[in-house]
Amino acid sequence: MLQVRKNRLWKLLTILFLSAGGISLILFSLNSKLDLFYTPSEMLQADIKPGYRIKLGGMVKNGSITRDGTTIRFQVTDFIKEVSVTFDGVPPDLFKEDSGVVILGYFLDGMFEAEEIFAKHDENYMPPELSIDPPAI
Amino acid sequence: MIGEISHFLSLSAVLLLSLVLIFNLFFFFSKIHPNQLTLSMRLFNQACWLVFISFGMYVYLAISDDFSIAYIANHSNSQLPIFYKITSIWSAHEGSMFLWIVFLTAWSILFINSLNNNHPLKKFTLLMLSLIILGFLLFLLLTSNPFERILPFGAVEGADINPVLQDPALAIHPPMLYLGYVGFVISFSFITAYLLNGNFELQWEQDIKNWSLVAWIFLTIGIALGSWWAYYELGWGGYWFWDPVENVALMPWLAATAFMHSLFASSKSNVLKTWTMFLGILIFALSLFGAFIVRSGIIDSVHSFANDPERGLYLLSFSGLITLFALTIFAYRLPALNSSKLVVTGSKESFLSMNNILMITSIFSIFLGVTYPLIIESINGDKVSIGPPYYNTIFAPLILIAAIFIMISVDALWQRSMPLRRFFTAIAVPVTLSLISMYLIWWTTSVFSILAYIGIFSGLLILFSYLLRVINNLFNKKFINKGSAIAHTGLGLLFFAVSMNSILSYEKNLNLAPGQSILVDKSVQEFSFNDIRVIKASNHDVISAKVSLLQDGREISLNPQKRKYTTRGQITSESSIHATFLKDTYLTIGDQLENGSWTFSLKINYFIKWIWFSAALMVLGMLLTIFKKKVS
Repeated sequence: MLQVRKNRLWKLLTILFLSAGGISLILFSLNSKLDLFYTPSEMLQADIKPGYRIKLGGMVKNGSITRDGTTIRFQVTDFIKEVSVTFDGVPPDLFKEDSGVVILGYFLDGMFEAEEIFAKHDENYMPPELSIDPPAI
Repeated sequence: MIGEISHFLSLSAVLLLSLVLIFNLFFFFSKIHPNQLTLSMRLFNQACWLVFISFGMYVYLAISDDFSIAYIANHSNSQLPIFYKITSIWSAHEGSMFLWIVFLTAWSILFINSLNNNHPLKKFTLLMLSLIILGFLLFLLLTSNPFERILPFGAVEGADINPVLQDPALAIHPPMLYLGYVGFVISFSFITAYLLNGNFELQWEQDIKNWSLVAWIFLTIGIALGSWWAYYELGWGGYWFWDPVENVALMPWLAATAFMHSLFASSKSNVLKTWTMFLGILIFALSLFGAFIVRSGIIDSVHSFANDPERGLYLLSFSGLITLFALTIFAYRLPALNSSKLVVTGSKESFLSMNNILMITSIFSIFLGVTYPLIIESINGDKVSIGPPYYNTIFAPLILIAAIFIMISVDALWQRSMPLRRFFTAIAVPVTLSLISMYLIWWTTSVFSILAYIGIFSGLLILFSYLLRVINNLFNKKFINKGSAIAHTGLGLLFFAVSMNSILSYEKNLNLAPGQSILVDKSVQEFSFNDIRVIKASNHDVISAKVSLLQDGREISLNPQKRKYTTRGQITSESSIHATFLKDTYLTIGDQLENGSWTFSLKINYFIKWIWFSAALMVLGMLLTIFKKKVS
């Protein structure tokens, strides 16, 4: 009987140890691996540390896309403020002017350096965080 | 007219299922007479057939371009080939829910009729199955009716299916995935029935073992197909994005894998019975949670269907109630259940239990990753998202511990403790071989990343342990469980391939004019952009580039395209892939610049084909387990 209890205790301890380890790992990663989402107005107001990866969501401003080799520059707007973005690479197919976009990258001296531009399956996609309706076209 | 009949048949199914439910509830506390059971079985079977016929008619409506039905008008087009007219049914919410229900019904009718009428659990299983089907049918008809007409005049032409969905892999990916998801309704209902019945002398594992194995296989194929499609069709060159919707498919998969393992243990040596039951409930709860996440639009994801709070509320309350019901009986019965044998320390079951705990931990971490943004947003309004770095850090250590347990368990015995001497020989050789291989990998590639090397090491440990086992089998005639060996080799290969892919793959963005050729790097010595032209196809225009590469001394030609679909004006990229044993050369074409040159994205993806090959190995291993001859 005692042996059975001892076994049970060991098992319980192992389980507790593993789950404690797991949970602390999870909390540790959660804290350092979050990407905060900003709209252009929020981004310009917020105090963002350089080297801190964030997400920017908004509309690609009409007529703002320029290309230079493989580098693309454009402006993202929430119809109040604009943020300039640079991206090196081939953007997803649904990336075009006057359409919604979410970008992952770094904010440095008023410029947003994009690491990745997210494509959406839906061509009518609009980031839900944009509270204002776009002007009718 | 056919649309109305089809709609009517579905409504009749609701009526019949309600009858079955009421009839069975009447006998909830008393014994059911075989004749009464036969009657309710007959009603149930008829209800199922009504669902099938209704769906069959719906398929006919889609093929015959009945654009007076709003759903078909919005998602199909008369120009589509018949194959895509049919698959357009599951390209959006309403139709895919219909398909989901058809599969749910199909699994249920097959399983319930395979049970003998004298089977003590048949009454309650029937009750659970009809309750679940009824819940989903009502969900379909009340909140997402696929039969809705456009009145008074139907559309003349359909709006067409989204072009990225016009693809064979994607056409069969949802059906496979759904077959997997809803397949676990069987283990769920059977376990709930067992708990309701309250006679715990009964053996229940064998009755659902093969059903769950088949569901697991479908789920695995479904997930693998989805990732393969994302790789070659979306043009990002990635295979897994830790997108919320991928995560909600991975959680039931992990739960199902844990369930299969503990089911083997409990049917083999009568241990972990209670735990297995809990997992059986958990898989279905996670499948329902997945349906809720995907279909309520609560989380913004590439897969999300249109945002509809009403649907979300219905699904959340329905799945919540079902799960709560099952967990309540489980908790109520727990004291009586807790009599199964204890696991022997150092036996195969003990290592298997450890990995079960690890799988639950990973499910919990994914669950947290999926819901954390929602929690944060409701607390302080901050919008956050959780990406791959979170999951990579979580999974690397978990994978390592899991691999160590798998390695030890290869030589462990059922029900018996392993001698310490064998324990060390089991560890020593694979660890040494893995460390040597890791050094060789580092020496040839000279890239280092802690997380990736943890993954490589874990993969190699599993691969070498099974390699040793195979050698032992060949020369010492030691027993080997083929199914398990193949499936676990697949897992080891998966860890290895994913990690190697993450350190070796790279991407180059290029910009050149037609006729120009450039040097890219040591491996791709020449990249020549030969020609570009526009071709007209039936429902789209194709911009097709001809590129030839001199790669590793060999000439390859690639043909990346861009398609512009006429009906929706949507543009899609068709990547061009050249696959060799070790790597894929993956080329997509970007946009034309003002000076007439074009941008290209060249990705070299190492070991990427191995990822799907390893999924295939896992499926093969499980298949062998199903068809394995019973050892008496």
